[in-house]
Amino acid sequence: MESSRAQTIARDVLAILVVAIFMFPIAWWALSSIKPYSAIFDRSGPVYTGFTPTPDNYRVTLLGVSRVDIGMEQGGEAAGVIKGGASSYDSRQSLLDSAIIAVGSTALTLLLATLAAYCLSRMQFSGQQSFLFWILSQRFMPPIAIVIPIVFMFRDLGLRDTYTGLILVHSLINLPLAVLLLKSFFDDVPREVDEAALIDGATRWQTFRRVVLPMVKGGIAATAVLCFIFSWTEFLLSLFLTTSIRTVPVKISTFVTSTATEWGYITALGTSAIIPSFIFILLVQRHLVRGLTLGSLKE
Amino acid sequence: MSTPTVTRETPRWALPRFMTAEHPFPWLAPITVMLLVFGIYPLAYSVWLSFHKRNVVSRQLDFAGLHQWTRAFSDARMWHSLETTLIYTFVALAVQLALGILIALLLDTDRKGYGVLRALMTLPLVVPPAVTGMMFLLMQDGSFGVLSFYLYALDLISPAQPILTQPGTALAAILLADIWQWTPFMVLIILAGLRALPKEPFEAAAIDGATGIQTFWRLTLPMLRKVIAVAVLIRGVDLFRIYDYVYIITAGGPGTATETLSFYAGRIYFTGDFPYAATLSLIVLVVLIVVSNVFVRLFKVRF
Repeated sequence: MESSRAQTIARDVLAILVVAIFMFPIAWWALSSIKPYSAIFDRSGPVYTGFTPTPDNYRVTLLGVSRVDIGMEQGGEAAGVIKGGASSYDSRQSLLDSAIIAVGSTALTLLLATLAAYCLSRMQFSGQQSFLFWILSQRFMPPIAIVIPIVFMFRDLGLRDTYTGLILVHSLINLPLAVLLLKSFFDDVPREVDEAALIDGATRWQTFRRVVLPMVKGGIAATAVLCFIFSWTEFLLSLFLTTSIRTVPVKISTFVTSTATEWGYITALGTSAIIPSFIFILLVQRHLVRGLTLGSLKE
Repeated sequence: MSTPTVTRETPRWALPRFMTAEHPFPWLAPITVMLLVFGIYPLAYSVWLSFHKRNVVSRQLDFAGLHQWTRAFSDARMWHSLETTLIYTFVALAVQLALGILIALLLDTDRKGYGVLRALMTLPLVVPPAVTGMMFLLMQDGSFGVLSFYLYALDLISPAQPILTQPGTALAAILLADIWQWTPFMVLIILAGLRALPKEPFEAAAIDGATGIQTFWRLTLPMLRKVIAVAVLIRGVDLFRIYDYVYIITAGGPGTATETLSFYAGRIYFTGDFPYAATLSLIVLVVLIVVSNVFVRLFKVRF
């Protein structure tokens, strides 16, 4: 279809405008994280420029600098005004907790899911479709429906408020996606590859481990990223199942207290939490749609 | 008439066949155990809980038959939260689908720079939903929120009635967060669908003199049917069990105006009435199972 120059430009402008609207909340959020207190809470109108950027919100959340010390730096009288302990805004432990849980659950998910996905892709057995549907149905389970019994179960097993507990639960939620997605990647590898290896005398396990698995490396990486991001961003289960371990999303929600909402710290920690996900997702762009549709749609 | 076998002789001490790598059992056993222990058992426990009742005196759970279920069905607050959830799900789905199709059509070109725009559109998807909730809370704050400010300036709402304090606008505020975060999901899926469409029918339509709008309704949309069905199914399920945004942005308020079914179940859980909370959460599950099964059959979605 031939389109005029004016139409082309109109389309470009519109496309940029639409994307800019979608980027605005993130930009506003990141901007707020370097604003001083007074600029965030300015009631006369939105502050875009004209403030002195400050790293203080990051120093408190990421470096654990006490906010009383920051108050002292800014002049003695400010320190007197600031109340409350500083330690509760130090989020280094939360970032570590989130990272341990996300990496742990990604590893466990991949281990269980690659085995199942290879089998579902390569072997035929009765009830295969039902098995697949059963796994898929787990994806549709509302977290609220299983979290209540899991709280009791974890209390009895001593898994409440542990890394292991949350790793297990996040893996459970990630498994359906991982199995279906990995199955679609295994399906891309022709069966002849397996048959050739088997005829050459390799066992089924060797065929899987040495021949097929290396061929789906890209797919495994994409699956890993999606599992990681899910665990990194998950909120409900972490909220219900932990008290002293605080993943980043839960930690952020605790910055809203009955006396004040600490927007400076919230935006600083939020911005820091988004960055790793952004980098990861851009790395697996190519397989993203397949991941979002549980493997049913391939680019 | 026997043919000589070429397979290696199986040693006498060999494992039973179902334990070997030739059989699906060892491949599927680990995941099955995991799903049974942490998926099916809790579900069964929830069902068990829903037929029991807290005994305040003995602090035990007593069998109570259908008590929790009849209680749920006569609970006006449950019906209200179900209604809120349905409104939320349908409005969000409709807006996300419509915007998703429009933006996908807009971004579907090979011209330079559009790749970057498409990549940027993926970013909202990876923001933790709790953070998204916070973002919109900050922007919609009644006294210093940037969005509130512009809405006041345009005279769309009055500063005397901040967004989050009115039942109607509070639900819209949550919807806005959802629409911001998940419209890109639709955009990306529909874009992939558009890119996979064959060229010939469109060339033929152009030769026959079809207008752009005719081509869209008669050709593009029907050919995207399957893709859209998958996206709507996945999104619809996530929308129906919405919890995070409600918890963060309004906590169900003002009053119970924005309480969704999952959120109501969570709230009951925190009061300690576990049997009733379990019953409410099972209602979420039952509705999801029924509707998603009908949908899968109706639109022949396959995974």
